[in-house]
Amino acid sequence: MALFLYLHFPALQLDHLQLSAQSSKLPVALVDQQHQLLQINAAAINAGLKLKMGLASAAALCPDLQLLPYQPEQQAKVLHSVAQQLYQVSSDIALDKPAGLILRLDGMLQLYGGLEPYWQALSAKLTALTYRYQYSCGATPYAAKCLAYQQAGLITADNRLFNNALNSSPLSATELIPAMQLQMTRLGIHTLGQLQALPPAELARRFDSQLLSYLGRLRGDYYHALEYLQPEPGFSRYLELLYDISDSTVLVKPLATLLQQLEQQLSQANCQCYQLLLSLFFRDNPPLKLSIGSAQGEYKAQAWLALCQLQLENLPLPEPVYGLQLDVNHFAGQQHSTAALFNQHQARMSALQLISLLQARLGRAAVTGLTILNQHLPEHASLRSLPLLKGDLVDNQTKAQVQAQVLALRPAFLFNKPQPLTEAVTINQGPERLCPDGWQLAAQRDYFIGRNQQGQWLWLYRTANQQWFVHGLFS
Amino acid sequence: MSALLDQLSRRQLVWHDDSQQLAYQAVSSGYPELDQQLAGGLPATGLIDIQTEAGIGELRLLLPYLQQQQQQSQRLLVFIGTPAELSADMLAGAGLDLSQVLIITPMKQPAANQKNNQKQNNQKQNNQQQQALWAAEQCLQSGCCASVLLWPAAISLAQARRLQLAAEQGAASMIVFRHCSQTLSLPVNLSISLQPDPFGLQLTVLKRKGSWPAAPFRVSMQQQWPALCLADTTAQPMRQAG
Repeated sequence: MALFLYLHFPALQLDHLQLSAQSSKLPVALVDQQHQLLQINAAAINAGLKLKMGLASAAALCPDLQLLPYQPEQQAKVLHSVAQQLYQVSSDIALDKPAGLILRLDGMLQLYGGLEPYWQALSAKLTALTYRYQYSCGATPYAAKCLAYQQAGLITADNRLFNNALNSSPLSATELIPAMQLQMTRLGIHTLGQLQALPPAELARRFDSQLLSYLGRLRGDYYHALEYLQPEPGFSRYLELLYDISDSTVLVKPLATLLQQLEQQLSQANCQCYQLLLSLFFRDNPPLKLSIGSAQGEYKAQAWLALCQLQLENLPLPEPVYGLQLDVNHFAGQQHSTAALFNQHQARMSALQLISLLQARLGRAAVTGLTILNQHLPEHASLRSLPLLKGDLVDNQTKAQVQAQVLALRPAFLFNKPQPLTEAVTINQGPERLCPDGWQLAAQRDYFIGRNQQGQWLWLYRTANQQWFVHGLFS
Repeated sequence: MSALLDQLSRRQLVWHDDSQQLAYQAVSSGYPELDQQLAGGLPATGLIDIQTEAGIGELRLLLPYLQQQQQQSQRLLVFIGTPAELSADMLAGAGLDLSQVLIITPMKQPAANQKNNQKQNNQKQNNQQQQALWAAEQCLQSGCCASVLLWPAAISLAQARRLQLAAEQGAASMIVFRHCSQTLSLPVNLSISLQPDPFGLQLTVLKRKGSWPAAPFRVSMQQQWPALCLADTTAQPMRQAG
């Protein structure tokens, strides 16, 4: 027999907003376009407000009530993220917009060994999320939903209990449209039990097919198709700030909560990631996109926060930020480095971690490695490459040359732009003629090693038209 | 040796003249004269201060030492703020593993506030200097660098002390190249001053942990770098004749 659990979140958007606010002392309510209160927080309930109350009476009861617009798409995002987090505990989860989740249990009971341990695991997860919720089990999705709306809280697989509870449920807890509910009430039908007692053939004559299809699904006679959630690869969360932040160092605080969630997801998947995409949203300017990389790969929020902090420190914000979005497109498996057991000192971080740290503060281009190329022109022989590159660029001939130590004598420092020679030098060795590719004789250079009056060793060259330049410094 | 003297020396109540070498672990510099004068070689960890003009052979003096440092521990060599582009030929020729070399060039960051233009240039340079020192400290502390070479514009006593502590923490050596004019004495393991010499370098040990100052001496590079030494005085007349 199939068993379903329905979770209903009566105030999802509001609870989500309050999560980021520390104090919940202020009464807050969400209103729809008809100016009805849709979601209220605990402070508002204490002030005597009720759901579906009009704005005028709400304002009369509670003058300092804070109103926010109800945003269905915002709530859908929150619902999706809740489902994603519950996915760690339960496998078959279907979204029931705007505020419900349908969980299919019969597969999970085998895993957890009964309903009791399963509910323990799930409710622990739900409590950690801190959203208010109502729940109930049921033999079909609609039955569970109907019971959850009445806050039945049934955690059982007993069919008799379900039937009793369903038969006494009012029509307002069902999926029927208000017009039909009114019609039923006029007929003297107030509970689901009365409705179910009527023969289907009679119902089909008086009412449209919607009612029959609902009742069929409620009883389990008709198949109810559910689209179960597939976990998404990667991570994407948006956080709307409660107030605009204009100082980039203050951004670290809300960012830490996002990174905390990322760490949770990464550690559960036993993964790490190499790059974060952080978008900062502004009211007027286009969003600022930052990419924060770690060469080693990290999953710990602490490590990522340190890297983000370094980038944010010297980031000028054009205007205050109102929202943060954190995306990770690619997860990679965790790799653990092995270290020697009897090493005298333990390195605090690996070379890759050091490079990410330096790059985060100084910029990507400021930290490079050095590669030797098989080129005869000195300015082409050295290449500033990516750091820690294991000589893939070096071809075999150069490698052999390096091993045999037959490299020509070159200065340690080369000037990007050769400087004209302006002092007297003693020529010690030369000339060595170097010609650019294609034997452009006009561009040929005769190199000499010279020593000036201060004792500095210079690498000089003479061009074809007898001009002298200093190209490097033997150090 | 009497039992009493043995006991006293074990409790370190008697000072021995030859115990001074234990101030730091020495790594051979590759130049016999220098090793002899420094009682073994250059320190394997801690701050080394070198006062020199650019281009007289200061890096050549260190290349064998750097090569050993890199090879022994399989760790990184970091060059921070070099005066010009480093040449791969030179480093590879000295036997350094280029894949374990890191070059850091602190860039001129876009200043956050573009208001004060006259101060900006000064600030920019200061910023660059700060970044170089920060990078050096991070590299030393990380424990994955064998040696860090820094070309600073200037370095204060407090900064040197920080670098020294970081170097000890990460078991790395930090080499600071300064101009001769800066006479400020720093808390270092070894401080030497270099003067150009036709056959190599004239070297003065200004300060060495656990030792007395010695007279200046010459380090000959004729064997390692014949092309970068002036020809022998004996050979001079022959060339003139020819």
